[in-house]
Amino acid sequence: MRVMKLAGGLAALVALWGTPSQAADDIVVGFATAASGFMQAYDKPAQDAAMIRIDEINKAGGLLGKKIKVVTADTKTDQAEGAKAGLAVLDQGADLVVVSCDYDFGAPAALQAQAAGKVSFFLCAESVKAGIQGVGPYSFSASVLAAVQGASMSEWAYNKKGARTFYRLLDSWTVYNKGICDGFDWQLPNLKEAKLVGSDTFKNDDASIASQITRIKSLPKEPDAIMLCTMMPGAVSAVKQIRAAGIKSMILNGSSMDGSYWLNAIPDLSNFYVPVQGSIYGDDPNPKVNEFNKKYKEATGADPSSQYVYPGYVMIDVWAKAVERAKTTDAEKVVAELEKMNSEPTLFGPRTFTKELHHQNQGRYLIIGTDNGKPKVVDEWTISSKIPVDYLVSK
Amino acid sequence: MTGLLQIVFDALSLGSLYALGALGIALIFGVMRLVNFAHGDFIAFCVFAMLWPSTNAAAIVFAGNLPSWLLVPLLLLVGAGLSVLSEIIVFRRFRNANPATMMIASFALGFAMRNFLLMLYSSRPKSITLWPTLGLPVEILGARIPMLQVVTIVITLVVLAALTLFLKRTRYGLEMRAAAENFTMARMLGVRANGVILFAFAISGMLAAAIGLILATNSGTADINMGANVMLIAFIATVIGGLGSVPGAVAAGFLIGAASVIFQATLPNEARVFRDSFVYGAVIIVLLVRPQGLFAPKSAKQRV
Repeated sequence: MRVMKLAGGLAALVALWGTPSQAADDIVVGFATAASGFMQAYDKPAQDAAMIRIDEINKAGGLLGKKIKVVTADTKTDQAEGAKAGLAVLDQGADLVVVSCDYDFGAPAALQAQAAGKVSFFLCAESVKAGIQGVGPYSFSASVLAAVQGASMSEWAYNKKGARTFYRLLDSWTVYNKGICDGFDWQLPNLKEAKLVGSDTFKNDDASIASQITRIKSLPKEPDAIMLCTMMPGAVSAVKQIRAAGIKSMILNGSSMDGSYWLNAIPDLSNFYVPVQGSIYGDDPNPKVNEFNKKYKEATGADPSSQYVYPGYVMIDVWAKAVERAKTTDAEKVVAELEKMNSEPTLFGPRTFTKELHHQNQGRYLIIGTDNGKPKVVDEWTISSKIPVDYLVSK
Repeated sequence: MTGLLQIVFDALSLGSLYALGALGIALIFGVMRLVNFAHGDFIAFCVFAMLWPSTNAAAIVFAGNLPSWLLVPLLLLVGAGLSVLSEIIVFRRFRNANPATMMIASFALGFAMRNFLLMLYSSRPKSITLWPTLGLPVEILGARIPMLQVVTIVITLVVLAALTLFLKRTRYGLEMRAAAENFTMARMLGVRANGVILFAFAISGMLAAAIGLILATNSGTADINMGANVMLIAFIATVIGGLGSVPGAVAAGFLIGAASVIFQATLPNEARVFRDSFVYGAVIIVLLVRPQGLFAPKSAKQRV
């Protein structure tokens, strides 16, 4: 009997301790992201952008009349720690759990949120698994699928640059890289006169891609465009070696190569294109994006280093809208509101969520072209049709 | 024909890089029975030594701006200094420990160094331009080869020649070979153990710096994990070359480089993703046929 009483007391204590913030009548956003380790460099910028949106909302009177409170836990760039960090922010009453940018590192915390019946958002994961398919019905990603990047670049180059012959060069290191090339593979048959003249793979940490370059050079004619599916740090090395070998073809890549911080490795780079959700170079067609860049600099002391800061802002934006519409933070109702969003305008392109997909299988992209080492917005492109969910899942 | 020549040059240049790495590991293994798994981190450290510590996305190039006649010796000195320091601070204390313990210690050292770099420079890769003219292609017998490949091959051959001369013709070289053959006996016969070991570490560190320079010139990137791949393959090269055999390690380094390039050039596209599986498959076959390695020295047999 005494044991029962003790247990009951303990349970009450745990319950009290577990929900201190709800009593304080705040809405809690929990960041289970990397504050240390190598993911920190990728999580922090997007998280800073999310904080800017949270500040804006709080200054404008809050959400449902309540202030948004932020709690954090460090995943230490470790998958086991990720699950713990997820639990830690849930224990502090998080209504929204924000998880690491990368699917593999964010999933452990997102699964905890799913198990606890809370909405979770990947900061910028671009795999179809970052959502219903990999985590569950309460999981979302704030970015756009990698496949859309490959599909956008090839369709844009075909229509706007007259590219007809394509070469596909895949860095087999990550699922993200494969995603870009999957999108390219899906798009290519839709482009009537386009022809794949060759295909090859390399690994991100290959000391040299000389033999891959030899293969491109042995083609009878230089391809119009090289669809390069890769990411940092091997991406710079690959582009540098391709250009050093005298190959002048247009190079297309995913958003992972946005940013000017690496351009001094290839000072005179030209004919190089990537898709971005917003421009960090101060020339975004939407003046509000340029205003955001200024705000970001005021808040963090530095300009955004790549477009990957933007999804953090989008995430809070769409979630807060869904909460306003649902008039509650209850996960089921918020998810229902999110799933009603169809081309919901945000600062960084429209967002659509459905019952099948909590990610973007179509999206507006700005095209950044680099000419003589200077990147700038050269165009804008939205793929003509959505990439089917079945295709994405089958890959 | 030109295509074949191109492949030969690709293989030679990649092989050179692996051979330099294998040499750095084999030298230390020879005198100390230590497989230095921190070697890859020495490579990364030397590259980062050219940058000013900062966690900004854009790199602040510091020593990397020096003229090459100053930069190259400086980096070799950094590599040698770091390597010697690691011997004095860490490995000396494990001199009589068994090889497995020393190996764990080298893992720990590498881990500490990697995180030290992470702290100073963050995990974002940094960009650096070294000798852009080395990227320009030269024409040799109809094949267009980037200058850097030629330079890599030449440097490797020069280093190998110099090291052979040093090992065969100088007193220190003799002592080092004696120490590699039988360390205890060499000491009894008056070989200065600390001197020989420090010297081996210094050369190994300089080799790491040389690899770092080549990698940085080729890729334009400094990344905290950049040495890991070369280190792993160099280690495998020392094993299939026959642990303890310096020429064996070098030959095996060239062999693995060649195998990797040939598989990349000849495998069908679907199988190319698994290139490394084929390379390591070949390594397993070699070890099944010759478990002691291709060029196992007599001294590798269990000492009594």
